[in-house]
Amino acid sequence: MTLPKRVCTAAAGLAMGATAAFAADYTITVWSGGSGPNDHYRIDAISMAAEFLEHEAAIRGDELNITIEGKPYDGWEEFKQGVTLSAESGTAPNIVVTSHTDIAPWAQAGLIVAAEDYVDLDSWPLNDLYGNLIDIASFNGIVYGIPQDAESRPFFFWKDHMRGIGYSDADIEALPGKVEAGEYTLQNVLEDARKIQDAGLVEAGYGFYPRVSNGPDYWQFYLSFGGTIEEDGKLVFDKSAMSDFYQFFVDAVEAGVTRKNHIGTPWDQWYGEVASGKAGLWHGGTWHYARYTGREGLDDFFGNIQFTLIPAGGDGGRANTITHPLMYLITDQGDEDLEALAAELVTIASEPRINTLHAIKSAHLGIARSQSSVPLYADDRWASEATDRLLPHATAQPNNVNFGQYVGIMWSGLEAAWTGQKTVADAIADAETELRATLGDNIVIR
Amino acid sequence: MLRARPDGEVMSGSRILGLLLLAPAFVFVVLFFLAPVVLTAVFALTNMSTATGITGGAYQVTQSGMRELAERHGEQALADALARVRYTVDRTGIDAASVEGASTALVSELDRRLAGQSFDSRRELERAIKKLDNRPRGTRALKSLSALFERSIVNTRFATEEEFFDAVAGLGIELDATQRAALLATTYTGWTWTGENFSRMFSLPDTRRTFLNTIIYVFATLIVFNTGFALVLSIVTHYMPDRPAGIFRAIWLLPRISPPVLYVLLWKWLAWDTGFLSRILVPLGFESRNWMLDNPTNAWVFIVLINGFVGASMGMLIFSAAIRSIPVSLFYASEVDGANRWQQVRYVILPQLRWPILFITCYQSLSLLTSFEYILLATEGGPGGATKVWALAAYLTALNNYAGNLEYGYGAALALVLVLVGVILSLAYLRLFDFKSLVAPPPIEQ
Repeated sequence: MTLPKRVCTAAAGLAMGATAAFAADYTITVWSGGSGPNDHYRIDAISMAAEFLEHEAAIRGDELNITIEGKPYDGWEEFKQGVTLSAESGTAPNIVVTSHTDIAPWAQAGLIVAAEDYVDLDSWPLNDLYGNLIDIASFNGIVYGIPQDAESRPFFFWKDHMRGIGYSDADIEALPGKVEAGEYTLQNVLEDARKIQDAGLVEAGYGFYPRVSNGPDYWQFYLSFGGTIEEDGKLVFDKSAMSDFYQFFVDAVEAGVTRKNHIGTPWDQWYGEVASGKAGLWHGGTWHYARYTGREGLDDFFGNIQFTLIPAGGDGGRANTITHPLMYLITDQGDEDLEALAAELVTIASEPRINTLHAIKSAHLGIARSQSSVPLYADDRWASEATDRLLPHATAQPNNVNFGQYVGIMWSGLEAAWTGQKTVADAIADAETELRATLGDNIVIR
Repeated sequence: MLRARPDGEVMSGSRILGLLLLAPAFVFVVLFFLAPVVLTAVFALTNMSTATGITGGAYQVTQSGMRELAERHGEQALADALARVRYTVDRTGIDAASVEGASTALVSELDRRLAGQSFDSRRELERAIKKLDNRPRGTRALKSLSALFERSIVNTRFATEEEFFDAVAGLGIELDATQRAALLATTYTGWTWTGENFSRMFSLPDTRRTFLNTIIYVFATLIVFNTGFALVLSIVTHYMPDRPAGIFRAIWLLPRISPPVLYVLLWKWLAWDTGFLSRILVPLGFESRNWMLDNPTNAWVFIVLINGFVGASMGMLIFSAAIRSIPVSLFYASEVDGANRWQQVRYVILPQLRWPILFITCYQSLSLLTSFEYILLATEGGPGGATKVWALAAYLTALNNYAGNLEYGYGAALALVLVLVGVILSLAYLRLFDFKSLVAPPPIEQ
């Protein structure tokens, strides 16, 4: 019988395992998206891994020189354009650090190779990674990525303002449990936001102060109202849940606790305000901890802020949080040797001690169980509390080729309803029309 | 001289020289105008995206593809057979391992302990291999060995239809014509020709709105600023002494020569809810707000101002030059006749500016039709899509997708509409200009 094509190239590796000493120079390029000043270990970890590999090669008597060329991108738009267009022109970086939601389209296009073809998921350190993160790194039953970090998106309360409307310290401490049990819902959020404003603790429009741009956070509210994003590999548009989710933000605007023109508020302004008690309730990400306590100068995070899951919308919904882990993806270079080397670097970069540097520096969560034994991680109150309180309830967005279009349509509808350009019913009807025209049979509308 | 045509050689030589001189312009026009337009038209008739790739796809059996094969084509049994992952330690694989350099001990142990065994995943086979006494050392060697026993084609990318069907036949699966067609439709990862982009465009509720936005944007900016205000500037500066007029014109050129990002940032600082406008207006009793994104009217005012301040300068320069070319004697004569300033403008200046005004109107309307960068930087099309113009929609579709799946095909279809509108407007303008009379030989040559 004819052997599959990839066997022919893979065979070189089998022979190489038995060969004598060798010398080789490699240049590996790494691009990371959405990476701010606190996220430099996404690339630095690969540099460390290269150094380890060089030492290991030297011990075996080989001379291995690896040059790492890193390029962090602040945002996502330019990064994704850069990766996809460079891949089309055959000049893609070897490793990209990106959202897991990119896996589906990039795998279908053949821009990335399946990580599981190059790494041993049963060996340390990869066998120590959280199973749900490996699931999130998979598409069509194949593991394409290696998780680079994990995070979660909590709901925040400014404690003093909650005290100001009658919450005792015990009540505030009980909030995470109440939210998780569904006893404190998004309707309570609106009520408390209104009370905080009425008490003059924050200005109008600052009672509930949501994220200022599109992002995974907004799917959490769809889930809060019982929505399903994907089922059996197909996207799902639950009109009722989507409608309730849109209505919640319209209600917030009508109650005056959220500004009608809130979307588009500059991020720097937003961070400064939520970290200084100018907002009552808001939602964000676990990495916000680093920003609040760092650049924004919030000295006592735990004394000022309570964090919980995103509350349920009501009956049928559930408290939840979404994790949006970034992945190390290995691009198809048409060179098994380069791809295997990239995979080795990513594997070493995933070792608990190295990954912990990123987790703590950027206030993300760990990717492996044993990180809780790494002193830097174990001694960090935020990492351990956020991991315990949020991660067990975390779900992820789907790896689906059509998800990007769904995100765009969901956001357009929300923005139109929120800013008063359309009624909720019109926004839902238009979203449905657009989804039918755009995705056809690839989405279940119910 | 040339009209005498003393011999044919001079004419022929000058023709060649003329062609040579025109060649760079011709190459430029083909590469930077014609080719993009042709490519846009081609892309517009495809479903091309990041996931399908630009240069072509492959044939790949995937979980989602097989689900589609079963659901849409009713080929459940075929889908099950193809989707089954199978690794078998058989004679072919063991011999291949031997040929590719596996140690004799390993080959012998494979034959003795694993021969004939089949595994449902590569990981299971690798786990079995790792238990062998003579197991390969290192991940690369393990991967190289396990690849030799793959007896299914799940996730393998085949470059051509022939290779793919050969591989299917290699699995012992025979296909009839219907099955072949269904399999091609569900395994091909690349783009296909389609006219659906246009039906989708015309069926979407937001298309009409984007179209209307574009008309508002182009004509409001054009009439108010690019011609109207430019005219005012040029006439006012005409009646000013030369030095202050020069300074005045230089000031109005500043927006054009400022980097767009900084220029828009200044406008944002002006309009943010903690910006300049709010600082001034709050003490006067107005609520602090994001003035630019507060409502669609505000957003349009800012968009027209931002673009208009840039666009007015070009008209100002052209009109000023045209006014300067009006013989001074006409002004003197009009003053002798007792004309006031307004009458000079009405009966001397404006009639002489007919062609410059037409030129600016044509040029700037085409330019505005395709420009979106200031809108992208200022409002991103918000609030709620109120300032999303056609060119911005094309850009966002083709080059911005939340989950990394850029929609080149649909984006190109949107862009093609702009090209068509541009061509139609250009032809209309040429007619308006009476292009033939403009390029007619000067009467003196006839």
